Amino acid sequence: MRAKLQASLKNAAWPLVTTVLLLAAWEIAVRALHIRSIVLPGPIEVVQVMVQRYDLLFEHLWPSLYLTVLGFALSVVGGIFVAVLITYSEIVRKGFYPMIVVSQVIPKVSIAPLFIVWFGTGTMSSLLLAFLIAFFPMTINAAMGFQSVDEDIDKMARTYMGSRWQIFWKIRLPNALPYIFGGMKISITLAIIGVIVSEFVASQEGIGYLIKLAGGLLDTPLMLGAITILSIAGLLLYWLIAEAEKRAVYWQAPIDAAGGPNA
Amino acid sequence: MTSRPGAAPVADHASHGEAAPNVSNPQITLRVSNVRKVFGTLEAIKNISIDIADGEFVSLLGPSGCGKSTLLMMIAGLTQATSGEIVLAGSPVHGPRGDVGVVFQSPVLLPWRTVLDNVLFPIELLRLSRAEYRGRAMELLKMAKLEEFAGALPRQLSGGMRQRAAICRALIHNPSTLLMDEPFSALDAITRDDMAVELLRIWQANRKTVVFVTHSIREAAFLSDRVLVMGRRPATVIDEVRIELPRPRHIGMTEEEGFNRYVRHLRKSIEASHAS
Repeated sequence: MRAKLQASLKNAAWPLVTTVLLLAAWEIAVRALHIRSIVLPGPIEVVQVMVQRYDLLFEHLWPSLYLTVLGFALSVVGGIFVAVLITYSEIVRKGFYPMIVVSQVIPKVSIAPLFIVWFGTGTMSSLLLAFLIAFFPMTINAAMGFQSVDEDIDKMARTYMGSRWQIFWKIRLPNALPYIFGGMKISITLAIIGVIVSEFVASQEGIGYLIKLAGGLLDTPLMLGAITILSIAGLLLYWLIAEAEKRAVYWQAPIDAAGGPNA
Repeated sequence: MTSRPGAAPVADHASHGEAAPNVSNPQITLRVSNVRKVFGTLEAIKNISIDIADGEFVSLLGPSGCGKSTLLMMIAGLTQATSGEIVLAGSPVHGPRGDVGVVFQSPVLLPWRTVLDNVLFPIELLRLSRAEYRGRAMELLKMAKLEEFAGALPRQLSGGMRQRAAICRALIHNPSTLLMDEPFSALDAITRDDMAVELLRIWQANRKTVVFVTHSIREAAFLSDRVLVMGRRPATVIDEVRIELPRPRHIGMTEEEGFNRYVRHLRKSIEASHAS
């Protein structure tokens, strides 16, 4: 346990050191070159603004976070559902799956103004955009997971007269779990993008709205503060999913994003 | 000890009592009659007939891709023959029926299940009571020297251990027949020899009818009561060799002249099939 903690500290040390160095370089550059705060404030000033105006930041963070999580949850449920249809229905697989794959190339954010025409400004548009963006990778990943069952495992199960139902619950679903979590990690970041973009376009609240507002007021430190708090929230959501993954996909040796499997 | 003659719990009992008309010899467990398999325009198997006695260990020996695996899958009921008939334990095979155990080239263990839960997997699929078979599972694992790993996940096991677990899984429901499709070909040579010895030990204790597909001449000669040499496409039986070496067999026998005579004979048969 202690060795594990030490190892994870050691893994965290490198990115931590580089982050601190970059922030220091930023602060020094801003001071040495006398860059005006309206153009680029130093990290210390950004932190100061965040501390001073934390109530404003959180007031706008909550609605964004709420819509992100809700849109993400809907995309997970919907994505898995459609993936099951793709796996079991030939009509869906042949008729709709190619469409879903091709529609991936459509920049979903470009649909945001259309949503506002249809659903008005406000939460519904944000929610739908978050859902729509997050939905595709979720679906494709889950469908891949359901379908990537080893041919011999399938034969083995059929030898013992496994029913479709048994094969789904006992083989396909656990087999898809790593793929589903992979999809969730992509989807959560995309859901955030969806919400923020739709708040840019039309909203009276949310971090996206605050960033736009601060931009209009040329309050660069507040903008950076909002971006920072949004990034921290995004990291936390991602971390939650990664932790859930470790517990759900207990049979896989964890893969360290920084490089290879960590022993 | 674990073999209960006639008590295969999942066997098709309905047809067990009545004498199937085409089984003349009651000792025959598996009868393959004039089986032919065509994939599209490709004739994979041409008219194969084999009788296998109860408790007999028979190898199908032939080059890779000669259709021997296809024959095995037809016996398991996973593939239908184009024509001909397969009769297992007195009733014709029309689909999977749960009274055979199958071991594949790879162990195909489910990575999220412990070794014990993997061994019990067929019991779940067959909707039998897990509690009832738990003891048997532990017994099988003990026989395969895996009892300490009952709670381990497959990734914690070596390749040979995984394949031994797969053999336990194939035996858990006490099937009448064990079908093995090149089960050791993914293992290294040393593990492979060990596995052959282990398999014979397990077989000696359980005494199932075994159909063993392999492309290793030595493996076939060492394990089998009888070796059927199969020729290339379309596959058919080109030679049949009874291996009359005493049992139990030990690995030292593979050094002896008696064994090597069989190996030479089998090699000649295979070479003859290539020449033609």
